[in-house]
Amino acid sequence: MSLLSIEIRKTFRRWRTYIGFIVVAGAVILLEVIIKLNETRMAQNFSHGLSGDFLISGSVLNAWVITAFIMNSLYIHVPFLIALVAGDMVSSEATSGTLRFILIRPPSRSNIITAKFFAMLFYTALLILFLGALCVGIGLAFFGGGDLISFQTGMPHIVILPAHVAAASTVMAFLAAILSMSVVGSLAFLFSTLVDNSIGPIIGSIAVVILSFIIGNLPFEFLESLRPYLFTTYMGIWQLLLNSPVDWGEVGKYALALLGYDAAFFAIAYFVFVRKDIKS
Amino acid sequence: MSEAILQTAGLGKRFGGRWAVKDLNLEVNAGDVFGFLGPNGAGKSTTIRMILTLLLPTSGNVRIFGKDARENRRSVLSRVCGIVEKPDFYLYLSAYKNLEILGSLTRKVKRDEIFGALEIVGLDSRAQDKVKTFSHGMKQRLGVAQAILTKPDLVILDEPTSGLDPQGMKEVRELVLKLSKEHGTTVFLSSHLLTEVEAVANRMAVLNHGELIAQGPVSDLLGGDSSYYSIQASPVEGAVQILRKNPWVEIVSVGNGIDVRIESKRAAELNKLLVTNGIDVASFAAKRTLEDYFLKITEGASEV
Repeated sequence: MSLLSIEIRKTFRRWRTYIGFIVVAGAVILLEVIIKLNETRMAQNFSHGLSGDFLISGSVLNAWVITAFIMNSLYIHVPFLIALVAGDMVSSEATSGTLRFILIRPPSRSNIITAKFFAMLFYTALLILFLGALCVGIGLAFFGGGDLISFQTGMPHIVILPAHVAAASTVMAFLAAILSMSVVGSLAFLFSTLVDNSIGPIIGSIAVVILSFIIGNLPFEFLESLRPYLFTTYMGIWQLLLNSPVDWGEVGKYALALLGYDAAFFAIAYFVFVRKDIKS
Repeated sequence: MSEAILQTAGLGKRFGGRWAVKDLNLEVNAGDVFGFLGPNGAGKSTTIRMILTLLLPTSGNVRIFGKDARENRRSVLSRVCGIVEKPDFYLYLSAYKNLEILGSLTRKVKRDEIFGALEIVGLDSRAQDKVKTFSHGMKQRLGVAQAILTKPDLVILDEPTSGLDPQGMKEVRELVLKLSKEHGTTVFLSSHLLTEVEAVANRMAVLNHGELIAQGPVSDLLGGDSSYYSIQASPVEGAVQILRKNPWVEIVSVGNGIDVRIESKRAAELNKLLVTNGIDVASFAAKRTLEDYFLKITEGASEV
């Protein structure tokens, strides 16, 4: 067994790992059922602001619109589910004492921490893809396909993506969301190497995410200079991919920033871990 | 002369301003069952953690199989296994899965090898049970199973009988002896129980307050340490009166029995003296505790 497969097996043998999937499934099913039950009213509300400028025929609610709506609603909450597992990757083994057992074996600490990091990324990717598959799957079953109409946050325009573009854009948006959420995972993972308990890294990383979101959204001029340095500034990368036309320059800038944060958080975790005295 | 397979030279670890282990020079030879003795807090686990590269030494180095353990970590640790402090496992996994995962970190392990190791410690019938259902004693035995699974040349066991009942302690001791005699494995075993080390080890080192007090063959170090005896006699008062008449007998304590300190060579003489004076002697046993031993060697009777 490779170290990565061992880490992935361990991760997916734990009950805690499935909390994220259960919560995501519950939230998506609930939201889509509620929307379905109130489809007419919600469709009217949604198209109310558009009726002055557009001639609307049929329902504006479809799988792509619902998926974008759910992503907008959940991307503040999903980080918690990521942190729940990522913040536990190293610290739980320190708490339980199993870290001692694996670190007296031949594999180097560098290989072990790298395998754990990639196992965390694998979990993050799987959770986001699960969210996407569920949103789209139930959405198609309940509402069918159609054009993706979305209101871009902070932009004075409405975006309408034709049905044939909407699917590809949604897939790209979810792939970008994986990158976005991996930064939260990396941060929680870093915290996990610093302490020997699981709660601290989970709460700590969520606190940092919330604080960064708050700082990033407060309408004060003196905070403007801080925003380029907050990773939360770039977490909305997936929204850029639902725009038309897509500003690929901006997407690239966001992606590089997120990858930079991933690399920086991992590098610190790596250096802490390989030099750490194991006292637990 | 046997080959030294574990050596520490000037090994030390400081936490803040306190030295947990200081200037430790150990030498474990191939085939030894080496007892590493010391009271709780003496620095035994810290030493083991440094040997197994869990802690970075503040001073000195560790050589295993003739190589620096830190610089040749992979090749060295592929031939070493052990338990540090208590055996902790993935509680949500079965005993089999735990051994499969831990064993595969050293090399590919076959199903038969896993069951073989579990059979040796008597856990083969519980192989598929989750470790969270195991008692402390069973986890301790599983710890031994993981330590021997990959058939290492050197097994390091940190207080392996800690928390076990007498039967469990006996089983672990027998297992240690079996590893040494049947498999030729070198065993480094830490304990705070002198009797445990005496029962299994051929060589030993004694650590106190992080410093080495004594090191050598068990027979040499403990040979003259039979000066404490516990006597169960009746009537106790009569026995005490007789003992007091003999200045070569030092009465240490009187309770349900009588603890005395005498020269070892006079033990038979004392026993005979009590019996010929009409005292019923139910038992006359050498009493050797770690405390007594420390008392003796710190009085300068042993060479470090």
